[in-house]
Amino acid sequence: MKEAGEFAWLLTFEGDEAAANEAARRAAAAIRASRLPGVMDVVPAARSVLVSGTPELDPERLRAFEAPRLEASAASLRTHEIRMVADGADRDEIASRCGLPADAFLEVFAQLSFTVGFLGFSPGFAYLYGLPRTFHLPRRGTPRVAVPAGSIALAGPYVGIYPASTPGGWNLLGTTQRRLFDLRADPPFLFAPGDVVRFKL
Amino acid sequence: MTPPRGLLVLEPGLLSTVQDRGRHGWAAFGVPAAGALDEEALRLANRLVGNDEGLAALEITLVGPVLRASGTLDVAVVGGSFGPAPGRVLRLEDGDVVSFAAARGAARAIVAASGGIDVPVVLGSRSTCLSARFGGFQGRRLWRGDFLAVPLPPSPSSQPLVDDLVELVEPGAGDILLRAFAGPDEGEFDAAQQAAFWGSPWRILPESNRMGLRLGGPSLGLQETAARASEGTTPGTVQVTADGHPIVLLAERPTTGGYPKLAVVAATDLGLLARTPPGRSVRFERISVTEARSLLAARDVRLRSYPGGRA
Repeated sequence: MKEAGEFAWLLTFEGDEAAANEAARRAAAAIRASRLPGVMDVVPAARSVLVSGTPELDPERLRAFEAPRLEASAASLRTHEIRMVADGADRDEIASRCGLPADAFLEVFAQLSFTVGFLGFSPGFAYLYGLPRTFHLPRRGTPRVAVPAGSIALAGPYVGIYPASTPGGWNLLGTTQRRLFDLRADPPFLFAPGDVVRFKL
Repeated sequence: MTPPRGLLVLEPGLLSTVQDRGRHGWAAFGVPAAGALDEEALRLANRLVGNDEGLAALEITLVGPVLRASGTLDVAVVGGSFGPAPGRVLRLEDGDVVSFAAARGAARAIVAASGGIDVPVVLGSRSTCLSARFGGFQGRRLWRGDFLAVPLPPSPSSQPLVDDLVELVEPGAGDILLRAFAGPDEGEFDAAQQAAFWGSPWRILPESNRMGLRLGGPSLGLQETAARASEGTTPGTVQVTADGHPIVLLAERPTTGGYPKLAVVAATDLGLLARTPPGRSVRFERISVTEARSLLAARDVRLRSYPGGRA
């Protein structure tokens, strides 16, 4: 456990990233459920959980959550089917770098099942795990100034969906009309960590 | 019919936004905390006009706004001199014009008004999230012609003057000293890199914003960042980019980031950093996290000792 602020601690987890992320998500859910006094934010990420709070937050009580947890998360996990149009500017390049014709790549992609590992970068931006290693691509050398809202994109081990038009360096595969962040909706965020996501062409 | 009480924006200034103590509890969904960069100034300015410390106020930047009062109300400016009466309450009568357009060496200040600035609460806060365009006044910086509703007339508990706010007016001469403690990734930096960080003056670069302050100085050397796992971020964290340049993360930072974190600026000194304009230099003085906690506790005692509104 490492200090990240006067009253903020990072809990980190070992193993390959998807497994470490699952451990981080379980720990985050358990910390939230424990209702420890003084907790303000619990942020699971790739292989860590950041817990930040007030002077009331006792770090000794956080240590217990670094141990791997086997019990299932208390929150009921949802499955989302996301309809996508394969109109991304990098679609053909993604497919060829993965060694497949575009149609074949999309067919495989639509059969994969993804898990929301964590959210970050901008409100509602989800990092999804579940890409086979052969589909892990580096980010683009030069980020785009504006990625279209709803873009479904690949970078490293992740698939991400841009909730709004922002700068971005990921490889663009397609787009969806679904709103990932909508302040008029309840809840305002479509995804939560742990949710399952499938793409439908 | 009486016109509504409030402040009409005659000139918006460079970057004037509505901020409170930030939007907490939504970071797991990628929502930046936002909130006033200078929390101490926010709390004090609110106290001066008799408000609860955390009410929404204006954060003004480099060149402040020109405002015209509608109805009678109090405003107080804390955190930097932008013209009238730093650290004091100004009573405005209907039609009075107040200008914060004269910057005198401070980057930012807070202008609080009696009863706060009345904007809708979004995800638990009135703070403006500039990057995602929501919260505050219509999710954006102020424009000419905007009208800010101010709910209350002057409070009987407003304070006409607090004498010892001098240290909150603007940064002094010379390098600005910021206390900081070891960051979670300090071990990834070698002795020479650490010595360069703690020993060098760092210039605040003009491309700084509410997400982070970019610091100019010696490159700390290339960092291996491509394969780093993203982690949750905290305010004051000094992260080092792939090309070796430090960035101090501020209130509107993204909730996760992948750069190594060399140090964390003490929360008590983030207000001073917010008040320090681009072009000025800062130095970091190493303290322990325990000392940083004590400084914060002492500051809270001091803030509560000021008369005025409630915590």
